[in-house]
Amino acid sequence: MKFTDFLTKESCIMDLKAAGKETAIRELADMLTQQGRVQDEEDFIKHVLEREMLGSTGIGNRVAIPHCPTQSVRGVVVAFGRSKQGIDFQSSDGCEVNHIFLMGTNPQDLNVYLKLLATLSRLLNDRVFRQDFASAATADDLIAVFKKHEK
Amino acid sequence: MRMGLHTIVVSIAGSAASLVTAKYAVALAKLLSVKLVALYVVDKKVLQDLLKSRIFVDVEARVYERDLEQQGAGILERIAKMAQEKGVAFEGMLMKGVVSDEVLNKVQELRADLLVMGELKEMTSRTEVFYDEGERILRRCPCPVVMVKNPAMVEALYKETAQQ
Repeated sequence: MKFTDFLTKESCIMDLKAAGKETAIRELADMLTQQGRVQDEEDFIKHVLEREMLGSTGIGNRVAIPHCPTQSVRGVVVAFGRSKQGIDFQSSDGCEVNHIFLMGTNPQDLNVYLKLLATLSRLLNDRVFRQDFASAATADDLIAVFKKHEK
Repeated sequence: MRMGLHTIVVSIAGSAASLVTAKYAVALAKLLSVKLVALYVVDKKVLQDLLKSRIFVDVEARVYERDLEQQGAGILERIAKMAQEKGVAFEGMLMKGVVSDEVLNKVQELRADLLVMGELKEMTSRTEVFYDEGERILRRCPCPVVMVKNPAMVEALYKETAQQ
């Protein structure tokens, strides 16, 4: 399963305005809503924040993957946001987060969603990918990095 | 050595396409007058991998596992109804573990004569091939494998297959 089947340059914000965890999630969710991929934005955000209350999705290496299943999204959705100043996500390594992947799935597509999360996890475990990914300046560059490493 | 065909196994994932695969398996079982066994495996490996990478927390992984189980039970119930309508002897099995291992072990244990599975998705990288459970099943299966394609043809075949 290729991550770039779901992450497109249109769903990337390379310079998030948000300075906090919730506002960053809102900024990304709003973009997905405007693209027609989220039917009920508030419900989606509520589910994502409820998941955050179970434990931070800041997984280290300055990456966070807030996510949830909810009826409010169509299929599987992915958005990416980069924060230049960094956001406190209460990450496991104590560092601020610069890269946020907001993901959601309709419960009907759980299997696809889990495989996609696993694909992202595998990529992020690769130090070379992380370096390439962090140095991508534009959304086009970012997608190109994913495509290169998914080959 | 056993003569003739006795058991067809169909491997079901959670997608809508799975029902097309199941319809073909039901029709085939009816035409060949054999028993059909449907397998749905809750992918524990992917849940464990996501726990290990700290994307999931314990309680969350348990909820996903429960949801996948419910989804699997629902799909198996739908296939059981299809089989009943067509008068096919049927057994549904809900399992947990590594999908390819569970399916292949069961195929061996049941001495299945044929495995029916869904179409493999398009692979564009070696990494994808390496991690794809369907690919592993196809390569390692000890019995002949039928890969279901063309949903319109399957639908027509299923409709044509005589009711009980």
